[in-house]
Amino acid sequence: MSSTTFRQTAPKVAIRNLFKDFQVGNSARSATTVRAIDDVSFTVSQGEFVCIVGASGCGKSTLLNIVSGLETATSGAIEIDGEPVIGPGPDRGMVFQAYSLYPWKTVAENVAFGLEIAKMPKPERQERVKELLGVMELTEFADRLPKELSGGMRQRVAIARALAPSPDVLLLDEPFGALDAMTKRSLQEFLRIVWLRTGTTILMVTHDVPEAIYLSQRICVMTPHPGRLAEIIDVPFGAVRGPMTKRDPRFLDLVDEIEDMLHDQSATQPESMTGTSHE
Amino acid sequence: MTASDITIPRANGPSEPSTKLGSSDGRGTRQGSLLRLRGDIPASTRSAAVVAGVVCLLGLWGLASTIFAGEGFAIPTIAATWNALVEMARDGTLWPDFLASTRRVAIGYSISIIIGVFFGMMIGSFASIDAFFEPQFGFLRYVPATALTPLFLIWLGIDEAPKIALVVVGTVFYNILMVADVVRAVPNELIKASYTLGASRRTVLRRVIFPHAWPGMIDVARINLAAAWLMLVVAELLAAQEGLAFRIIRAQRFRRIDRMFALLLVFGLLGIASDFALRAMRNRSAQWARD
Repeated sequence: MSSTTFRQTAPKVAIRNLFKDFQVGNSARSATTVRAIDDVSFTVSQGEFVCIVGASGCGKSTLLNIVSGLETATSGAIEIDGEPVIGPGPDRGMVFQAYSLYPWKTVAENVAFGLEIAKMPKPERQERVKELLGVMELTEFADRLPKELSGGMRQRVAIARALAPSPDVLLLDEPFGALDAMTKRSLQEFLRIVWLRTGTTILMVTHDVPEAIYLSQRICVMTPHPGRLAEIIDVPFGAVRGPMTKRDPRFLDLVDEIEDMLHDQSATQPESMTGTSHE
Repeated sequence: MTASDITIPRANGPSEPSTKLGSSDGRGTRQGSLLRLRGDIPASTRSAAVVAGVVCLLGLWGLASTIFAGEGFAIPTIAATWNALVEMARDGTLWPDFLASTRRVAIGYSISIIIGVFFGMMIGSFASIDAFFEPQFGFLRYVPATALTPLFLIWLGIDEAPKIALVVVGTVFYNILMVADVVRAVPNELIKASYTLGASRRTVLRRVIFPHAWPGMIDVARINLAAAWLMLVVAELLAAQEGLAFRIIRAQRFRRIDRMFALLLVFGLLGIASDFALRAMRNRSAQWARD
């Protein structure tokens, strides 16, 4: 591993002094600048699973969109393996909450899309799709259209599709937010299996605190108005987790601790628009 | 205070049944099955209703034709209309008229669709192009295309060109704006996901936005086809040597109301047939969007 010493010193994902301002108001005259992200910095190591939690409006989804390259930061930088992110690319696969499958493509075609774009030869492509469908237990649904699937299955397809081009980082934007509690639990297990098997670096946004603790190794707690990184918490559980983990006193204490953190912040800063007028 | 201390006020105690809450056989208002709001009906009931509708229409026509049988405000009988249709088919005018009109609409409307899809895709996908074209199309949309007829006759003569041009102008702005709406309805997540899968802007347009908008585009084409026929009639009424609308004007000159009815019937059937064809095309090419 001596040849990769440099690589090891550079984190997988580095978020450096990120700021994001939005212009609010439809006319140029009444436009107000609202700060969505205020000086956020943290790094994610190779193979790490990090969750970002926060109340709505804390800028967590905006942050993820900037990492993906779909949005640009007002200032600051995102680096993947030391290289700056200038736009979206297949090295950062992304899963959204809903509506992101191609409704005219079958499950297998959806998963294959990124590979087609990458011009992977057909036999190889089919092999890769088959493997991913197997992991996500979707093999028998390969020829179904998204509209014929349940919400949980659709999200499994979305995860498989994002993983297909073997991304360096998997970005998940509240992927289970629209699912019922039971489906959510099973999808969390799928995600853990994917992470343990592939070793992909995962950065996930959620507002579900127990979910964040159960899945990740570190949790970035964000507070709104403006979106700031309040704390980074190390999750005290190893790779082996199960239903018992959720009943561990440390787990329950951590849930309380983080939820208090979120509630305190939203109580002390009621609806204050920390923006500065444009004129 | 315990839970048992809380008394919930009742508007209607059990001793005095409300007249509002229900009748003698239970609570609520019973829902009819045939005329339930947004209710589904069995396929057999559905086809029965369709047949009943057609029979009703023909019955009314038959009735009206016996009441208004005199001079002036006369309505031809179904038989007379049919005979007029057969007569026109026999004397060799119906088929050339039909072809001439259909050809004008087909050419004009195809051009309109191609322009509509191209500009609709651009306007619906790019905010800058949308802003650039907004004033032009906003203005042109409200210029009645029929008002351009005299102008087109001067510019393009009295041959096929002005007729086709009218069909284009009379439909293209609706097509552009409605296709743009269909394109805007493509979910943002779908476009974002495509970018993160490595798709280029061109690939997203061609392989994501276009296929997603495709069935909607066919629906737009279906809706605006009626406007295309409207423009054709205006064009043929003013200057034509053949065509279905031209033949209606000729029939007027000879007070052949039966022929006029026969020609109107052809228009209607043509409309139903084209709508059916487009819908079949939509369902075949976009199984996923079938309702």
